[in-house]
Amino acid sequence: MTTGVYADRVTKLFRKTVALDKTSLSIDKGMNIVIGPNGAGKSTLLRCIGGLYKPDSGKVRIFGSDPYYDDDARGRVSLLSDNYALYDKLSVMKNLLFFGKLYGNSNAETVEISRTFLKKLDAYQYIDKKAGELSRGTKQKIAICRALLGDPGVFLLDEPTAFLDAASAEKVHLMLEEFASNGKIVIYATQRLNEAARFNANLFIIKRGRISKTLKHSDLYGSILRDAKINIKLADPVNASIANKVPHFEEALGSNIRIKVRNYKDINDSVRYLIDKGAYIISIDYTEPLIEDML
Amino acid sequence: MDLKKSYAVMVNDLSEVFSSRAIYMPMIAVPVFFALLFPILTFYISTYNLSGIATRIIGTAEQISSTQVNGAVFMSYFAIYVLGPTFMTMPIFTASVIAADSFAGEKERRTSEALLSTPIKTSELLVGKIFASLLPTILLTLVVFGIYGSTINYLAFKAFDTYLLPTTSWILIILLSPFLSLAAIGVVVLVSSHVSGIKEAQQISSLVVLPVLVLPFASIFGIFDLTPTFFYELLALLILFDAVIIYIGIKSFKKENIL
Repeated sequence: MTTGVYADRVTKLFRKTVALDKTSLSIDKGMNIVIGPNGAGKSTLLRCIGGLYKPDSGKVRIFGSDPYYDDDARGRVSLLSDNYALYDKLSVMKNLLFFGKLYGNSNAETVEISRTFLKKLDAYQYIDKKAGELSRGTKQKIAICRALLGDPGVFLLDEPTAFLDAASAEKVHLMLEEFASNGKIVIYATQRLNEAARFNANLFIIKRGRISKTLKHSDLYGSILRDAKINIKLADPVNASIANKVPHFEEALGSNIRIKVRNYKDINDSVRYLIDKGAYIISIDYTEPLIEDML
Repeated sequence: MDLKKSYAVMVNDLSEVFSSRAIYMPMIAVPVFFALLFPILTFYISTYNLSGIATRIIGTAEQISSTQVNGAVFMSYFAIYVLGPTFMTMPIFTASVIAADSFAGEKERRTSEALLSTPIKTSELLVGKIFASLLPTILLTLVVFGIYGSTINYLAFKAFDTYLLPTTSWILIILLSPFLSLAAIGVVVLVSSHVSGIKEAQQISSLVVLPVLVLPFASIFGIFDLTPTFFYELLALLILFDAVIIYIGIKSFKKENIL
């Protein structure tokens, strides 16, 4: 059986800048997250998979075809880039009808698909507005709808919820999970750990143009918690002799004890020690590490 | 090739251009204004203020009666051989404005990513975009030349009791217009990978106008005789130039060019 999305040692240069450096991945189905800091190569990777960029070396295949040369292969992929790419002077409907035609839809089909998805995303009321008059969040919803017009088998999303409020972002997340559960491939690029943690997905960690790690969702917090700083807020400060002996202690600031942990167990050890010493715990927060630090 | 997709691209580009009054109003109003103003000025000079320039060509007009000869011949000469080539710049400017908006505009507005990630072929895209620039230019050219020619004939008939247009040279000037438009569009396709925005593309493609601007002066100073033979030769040369520049433009066009 042909792999859905296959990239083999893909290198992409922009003049002398190496955007992708012999990056490989293979995806057959489901929800997949590409996570990495700014400039790591996430967008370039999606554009190579989507057939917008021709790799300088290596190969990309979508269901066995090269999406850069094979227009039909590109018809099975949909790329939602980090800009909305809408024609501002045209209405939402005209935008969608135009893209629908390029995907080979009849106008009636496009209207029907648009109605379904825009209603799901609570944006149907803007159908006759000019795209240029809409907020960034609404434009992003319209762009998501446009990307779905071709009923893609592979859905590539580059920071798709960057401008959405929490409720709208969750609607998008649910929609994507539904796609993934229907056997489609979703590849979602983000630099936000909490967003990556939201999905039960395969994680591809990308750094300096290379996929440095591939994780399962269940491994994410194990990986995140390595060297993570946890803040334990106590009802009252404890004296220095107790604080200094808290397992994995890093520093004490008033009624806050900061510990540096390597895994889930370390948190339990510290908390158990403080409880044993008679401290009352109000909250346990961890400062999410910078994505750059966890790679 | 699916021409429906090309047609969709063409309609979309035209909707974009003609949804902005700031783009289409000057593009239409300026040529129409000159199509009316130039014949009136020519008529005024021919009738009331004929200068020595007309006497240079007086020998060609024995067929017109002696009382009318200076005015009518001057008007005919000026309308066809001086202002005719001046109007030939109009399709170049119009095509440059639309083509630059169509190709470089996609890049500037960052709409090309969505467009190019659809299953459209490069050939379908280029055909759509070239026709989006060519068709309105041809239409506008016909309208402007129509207004210009009608005004010339109306004024000439009133003053000299004769129609001056069309002549073979005049028809050939109109026939040259689509090929001049194509030359400007070809230059835009060619430079689309090297420019970052609409203005740059427009400025470069407008350079096609320079050789055309030489024609009225060459005619006045007697460097070229703008005879039908000259225009036939120019037409042949232009067809060849268009074929070469469009071929190179299409061959060198890559999707990344407008990303």
